Amino acid sequence: MTTQSLYKSFIIEEYQLDVEPYYVPIQDEVELFEAAYKQKLPLIFKGPTGCGKTRFVEYMSYKLGAELTKVTKNDADDSAVNLPLVTIACHEDLTGSDLVGRYLLEGDRTVWLDGPLTRAVKAGGICYLDEVVEARKDTTVLIHPLTDHRRILPIEKRGELLQAADGFLLILSYNPGYQSALKDLKHSTRQRFVSIEFDYPPIDLEAQIVEHEAGVDKDTAYQLAKLGEKVRNLKEHGLGEGASTRLLIYAGQLMAQGIAPRRACQVSVNWAITDDHSLQQSITEIISSIFE
Amino acid sequence: MTDKLKVLENLLPELEKFPAPVKDNFNKAIVEMPDALSDEQASDWLKRGIGIAGQTVRSWEAAAHFFQVSPNVISSMPYSYFVRWMECGATLCEESPTLAAAYFEASPATMSKLRSRHIESWAGLGDGLYKGTWKSSTLACRFFAESSTLLESLSFQQLENFANFLDALSHRSYDLSSECLTLGEQIFPLVGDDKDAFLSLATTLVDTGWREVKSFFEAGAKALPKIHPEERMRFLKLAESLVNNGGTNIPGTMLDISQSLSLLEEDHHYIVLGFAETLLDEEPLAMPEFIKSAPIVLEKLTILQLGRWYQEGVNTLSQNKDGGLAFFKIESSHSEAVIETLSSGIELDRIKPVMEMYCRALAGAEVKLSPTDALVEKNIGWVSNESPTTEGSTVFVPTLVDRYGTKEENYAWFKVVSTHQVAHLEFGSFIFEFERPSGLFENLRLDLEARRIETLRENQNNGPAFGEDVADSDSPGNELSESHTGLERAWLTDMQRFFDLFEDRKLSLDIFTVVEDGRLDARVKNEYPGIKSSYTQVQSDSHENRPDIKELPAREAMVEFMVRLSLQQYEGVLAPSKYNKEASQVAQIARRVLVPDATVEDTAEATLRIYAIISAIPNEEIPPDDWSDMDFDEEDDEDYVDPEDMENLLQQIGMGMEMELRPEGEEEYESIQEVEYRGDFKPELAQLMTELRMQQQDEMGQAQGEPLTQEQLQELLENSAELDLQATQGEIQESSGMFADNIMKEAGANMPQSPDDSQGPFVHVDEEGGELEPPEPETFVYDEWDFRAEDYKPRWCVVRQKMMQEGEPAYFGATLNEYSTLVTRIRRQFEMMVPEMFRKERKLIDGEDIDIDDVIENMVDIKTGSSPDEKFYWRRNKVQRDVAVAFLLDTSASTAEAIDEGKNKQDDWDAPDDPVEYMVWLRTRRGEQMRRSYKRIIDMEKESMVLLINALEAIGDTYGIYGFSGYGRENVEFYTIKDLHENFSEKVKRRIDRIAPLHATRMGPAIRHATYKLDNTDARTKILFLISDGRPQDRGYSREGVEKEYAVHDTKKALDEAKMQGINSFCLTVDKNGHDYLKTMCSDMGYEILDDINDLPERLLVLYRRLTM
Repeated sequence: MTTQSLYKSFIIEEYQLDVEPYYVPIQDEVELFEAAYKQKLPLIFKGPTGCGKTRFVEYMSYKLGAELTKVTKNDADDSAVNLPLVTIACHEDLTGSDLVGRYLLEGDRTVWLDGPLTRAVKAGGICYLDEVVEARKDTTVLIHPLTDHRRILPIEKRGELLQAADGFLLILSYNPGYQSALKDLKHSTRQRFVSIEFDYPPIDLEAQIVEHEAGVDKDTAYQLAKLGEKVRNLKEHGLGEGASTRLLIYAGQLMAQGIAPRRACQVSVNWAITDDHSLQQSITEIISSIFE
Repeated sequence: MTDKLKVLENLLPELEKFPAPVKDNFNKAIVEMPDALSDEQASDWLKRGIGIAGQTVRSWEAAAHFFQVSPNVISSMPYSYFVRWMECGATLCEESPTLAAAYFEASPATMSKLRSRHIESWAGLGDGLYKGTWKSSTLACRFFAESSTLLESLSFQQLENFANFLDALSHRSYDLSSECLTLGEQIFPLVGDDKDAFLSLATTLVDTGWREVKSFFEAGAKALPKIHPEERMRFLKLAESLVNNGGTNIPGTMLDISQSLSLLEEDHHYIVLGFAETLLDEEPLAMPEFIKSAPIVLEKLTILQLGRWYQEGVNTLSQNKDGGLAFFKIESSHSEAVIETLSSGIELDRIKPVMEMYCRALAGAEVKLSPTDALVEKNIGWVSNESPTTEGSTVFVPTLVDRYGTKEENYAWFKVVSTHQVAHLEFGSFIFEFERPSGLFENLRLDLEARRIETLRENQNNGPAFGEDVADSDSPGNELSESHTGLERAWLTDMQRFFDLFEDRKLSLDIFTVVEDGRLDARVKNEYPGIKSSYTQVQSDSHENRPDIKELPAREAMVEFMVRLSLQQYEGVLAPSKYNKEASQVAQIARRVLVPDATVEDTAEATLRIYAIISAIPNEEIPPDDWSDMDFDEEDDEDYVDPEDMENLLQQIGMGMEMELRPEGEEEYESIQEVEYRGDFKPELAQLMTELRMQQQDEMGQAQGEPLTQEQLQELLENSAELDLQATQGEIQESSGMFADNIMKEAGANMPQSPDDSQGPFVHVDEEGGELEPPEPETFVYDEWDFRAEDYKPRWCVVRQKMMQEGEPAYFGATLNEYSTLVTRIRRQFEMMVPEMFRKERKLIDGEDIDIDDVIENMVDIKTGSSPDEKFYWRRNKVQRDVAVAFLLDTSASTAEAIDEGKNKQDDWDAPDDPVEYMVWLRTRRGEQMRRSYKRIIDMEKESMVLLINALEAIGDTYGIYGFSGYGRENVEFYTIKDLHENFSEKVKRRIDRIAPLHATRMGPAIRHATYKLDNTDARTKILFLISDGRPQDRGYSREGVEKEYAVHDTKKALDEAKMQGINSFCLTVDKNGHDYLKTMCSDMGYEILDDINDLPERLLVLYRRLTM
């Protein structure tokens, strides 16, 4: 008997979310997204790390996918119309062919293999380029024709122009906290997108999120959210980034597993966000004030 | 020479009489004697030699030596002295030929170090030591022999003293004396400048304990090197006075002491010896013990705390000598206990950075942490040196907490105190608004205010008699009512408006304080469960320290009752039996605000009601038996409803009636003792300060609202119960005037400097004048933006580009040394950038490895029949970091300002009265000042540049450093310190040394010129880094001479122009008020404001790294 595979493998354009991801809207981002999607306007998500950008994309992908499914349910075909989500993490070695595709050798022949962007364009899914400033500037130019009214992807090597399927939407995310003169989006790129700014949720909502995600009780969740708020107050005083919601959830998860609250915060929040000793001590004091 | 021999011929036979060495030496000497010697002189010399030789049987030896050294000696002195030298020798020879021989033998070496006029004295010293005995002769001979060595480290005067000492000692023992002579040689070079002290000590020792002298010398040789060179003298003096005071085993003690001192930091020697000196007056024998214990004590305590321990020891000593000795030996439990207590104390200095951040995080605002005395110094109404407090932006805490036996407890107390003060900010004690409704109570404030105004109006209209009555009373409250009759009155703060409702402000303030503190405590405990246990502990400790409630008169007792209640002591709170009903009402009201969503307005409403109840109670003595415990059930959660008689009570307040209800002989209400951890709560003042500050900020942007007047402020201060102005009316006005002044200063302290200060009589070109032409080479003309006209003023400014003059290159190295730790760290950080600069470079003909993607592509090309691209190797290549950066340094006159080292400058008036403490204080202060070299902003800029160059050279970016200043539009000076294309060189180092504050700050043209320079540089990334200390300003750099906006807008325009050229700008400023204009100036580019100028070097590098990575 062959070993049953222990992992799930998806074909890029078939990956979609089965379960509704948990997301609490903070402002009007859901409406904005829906409107932009209907009008096929590409989006940029700006915001600090761990504030829920990726989760939001997942949530919207599921939500829109579910709506599409509902509408077309009447078709005899059993398979739901889906909205795939293609996520590409950008890095500085990312080349055009990594996105678009390349020829491969197979025996005596050459085989063309579509890149993830191409597949998303064909399948009509959401293509999410995470941390796009990390990618090389020449790579980012590649997406330009996709983002205006043309919605085409030229594939030079094959001499093709690909018209994007209806459901296709390009989303970039980036974290403006860098302030690096070398890493900034070109204006020509930036101005092709509708920008949605994200920030950490207000304390009540954040508590609600932490409570749900970490599985801790209401009070603990609120305290964690309060910790987040207090630590973010220090942002201009040597902290590069405030404690993200993600970190707070980590802390909550550790607590849910029985780790003492102070310790959990220490390892997941305090030590994660700074190496500065004096700052760590200050945060320790905040933690020890909030948690017993 | 033969001539001379001829002259001397007739004398020569004389020589033959003596043993051969005499004539031999003469023959050798005569050849070497100087030619200038006349015949007479030569024969005199020979005659004297013969004379010496002929004195006694053994004196030929002396003569032989005489001849041997003569040529040498005569060459080092004039002939007249040579004669004296010979005479001295002859005299000595009369005493003892051996001595004379030693004298002659030692002469050549000694004469080179001895002034000629001292010859006789020197011979006399040796002679003095010679007492005709064999032993004394040996000593004297040795003295001569050692003289030259001794003179290397001693002056002649000291040598004399030493000889006297030897003489004195030789009366006791020649051997000892001789040994000391040998030791002296070793020790004197070590003693440094303090030989006199050492010798005098040695001489004293001869009188008191001559047997120890030798060990004293030995001990000295070992001990002195261990002591800070400048303190050696004092060390010896100490030893001497110990001797004079009957100390024994001095050498041993000296060794011990020096051993102990060597364990201390050298900087501490001064202080410890200072203590030791004062201790001598108290009890000399305790002194060595003190020094011996010092290192042990200092392991646990700081040097300041050592002073306290010492003081405690002195106190013990004055009561009981043995006890004191044991104390200093740390052999008493009292001593240990003192050390324990002191070492468990928490000093603000040590924990300030951590706690300050903590407070900022909690408050979510720029809170500062300062010692309480800093606030008192400002003299704006706070007078307590001990109580923690806040004035709205800074939290003031005690410098030292040593209430408890352990560090943990003290720290917990400290944290509770800080948290409580921050709670005032976090939970909004100072954002009180008179008209904002309370959520928990029915709102009675407006109602009451209306009634009061009504009453006052009636009073004014109705009875002049009543009016007079009021005027006669010297209560400030009544003064107020007079001024109030204007009715349409503007309050400075809502808090003031609120307290104006009450006749007895003191009482209302006390009630407000208790209720508000209670609210905050409950809130803190609720919001921060982690600190709850320490909080409760501190509360119950405070409860124990409350004054005896039974001794208070009724009204005060009621307030005290509330305090105790608020400290959460629900069981058994004493209250006068007579007023049990009132007490329980009060308790019920006060408890209402303990819920988490209570606001400061709720506190106000509660205050109003409680005031109504308490003010109706006469402030009379209550007999001790007439008290009963009040028990409160914590679960009592009934909804509060105003009791029916509340209406009546309010009526009374409204009428200002309570004063009239006061029976004869009743005591005036005195404020109750404050709760220590809650400190000093001054809501009116704090709100005032907060509002003044905001007003100040508004003014910087656009003026709005009416600025308040000195009179208004003074009035507020005079009426406020927060100032303890117990003085006659005149003095009140005086001191409130002073406070008002100071408050204005404090709030407005951040006013920008007037640019006129920095300008001298310069060539004036009329501002209305027209375009300028570049008058000479190296000058450039730029436009200037007029934001009102929305157009450029064409060719408006002349930039004169100059080379910075060259100074000393040493500055560069010295700065690097000073920052050596930082330099290493920065180096490391910048070196870490290097790996990031390596990037995989693909499509090369040759390289580290093949790129599989490219190879496949290549194969594909071959298969498809197109021509393959053979470049399929990759290599990790150093990426051309193509960065060019221009640093623009503000070298305006204002950069000459000294850096304010914190605000806790110690003025002389806080010097302690006690002489010992004063000494310690003085020393520490002096120590501080020595460390605190006087630095200016420009120095920090210079130092930053040095570090920056050091770092930039490591990564090889193109960079230029320019300074700018100027006076007027026709004289914008642009100094090149290092041009963009210039290589770093010795010259650049020299130029940095010469950076100095010059004139004004016309930023626009300087930025334009830097932009021009960068524009002519070829680089992919271009950065303009502006470092300044304030807003741009210059003569005529404004429209109609007043609008600061003009300069800001022109600068912004210049930065925008740079941006359009593809240059990234970044502004770094040390102006704390920079936010307002920088927001306009650098709206869409980076800027940063440095809190602390001392961070400049480090921060600049961090920013640079971030900006270019």
